[in-house]
Amino acid sequence: MKSYLPENLDLTAKVLDLQMQRQNLVAANLANIKTPQYRPKRIEFEQELQSALNTDGQGKLTLTSANHMPQAFSADKFEGNMFAEFKPRVIYGQDSVDLDKEMALMAKNSLMYNTMTTVVKKDFDNISKVLADGGR
Amino acid sequence: MDYMTAFDIAASGMSAERTSMNVISMNLANSKTTKTATGGPYQRKAVAISQASVASPFASAMNSAMDEQLRGVKVAGIVTDNRPPRMVYEPGSPDADKNGYVSYPDINMVEEMTNMITTSRSYEANVASVNNVKSMYNKALTIGS
Repeated sequence: MKSYLPENLDLTAKVLDLQMQRQNLVAANLANIKTPQYRPKRIEFEQELQSALNTDGQGKLTLTSANHMPQAFSADKFEGNMFAEFKPRVIYGQDSVDLDKEMALMAKNSLMYNTMTTVVKKDFDNISKVLADGGR
Repeated sequence: MDYMTAFDIAASGMSAERTSMNVISMNLANSKTTKTATGGPYQRKAVAISQASVASPFASAMNSAMDEQLRGVKVAGIVTDNRPPRMVYEPGSPDADKNGYVSYPDINMVEEMTNMITTSRSYEANVASVNNVKSMYNKALTIGS
């Protein structure tokens, strides 16, 4: 059985962390908009997170022997993949960061972050509701 | 990796854009300057921008490899554009040479104005990033309430 604490909370906290990291990278890309030879950086974690949680289309890892250890997700060990674009974007002899792309990513990311924050808050609200109503 | 990093990075970008705005104003203001301290007409200036770590040396020793990838910007220096002056025939001017030509700095208004708009938009992008991080921070604070 899954419980609110700690699995769910660890997972949402990890996602919040990774989205914060993404926000930092967007800030770095925006600040370096005119730096020559700067390669915009990205962080990707959604795919890896899904497969680590066995929620992607692949399904669960099958246990074919009683001695197999069940695959457990550990939020501490999980990290996103960061990579830089292969080469700087060049427009009329000057390289630049794609402003539209960065702004869209930033808007999307902060919306996602705010949503995850609401999820965490609801988790805590639910726990206190159980604590308050369960004792009656 | 924390909120302050995003603010520091955006601040470094804003400061670099402000410097380049100052240089553009200098170019526009000096578009008719024929006398400088070094003699000769004013020469167009431009900023050289490079990436820079925003973390202090101690913090960078404690950072993870991923955080080390975060880079702010700094102005590496103000460089002089060595394009030749614009020669204008004004025999009556005290700055005229023996053939009656005055050397004016070759400042292209269109070039400076487009640079100014680019700089202003980049500055706005950094401001937007600060505002976004601020709203995320405030939202995170509501978890406990």
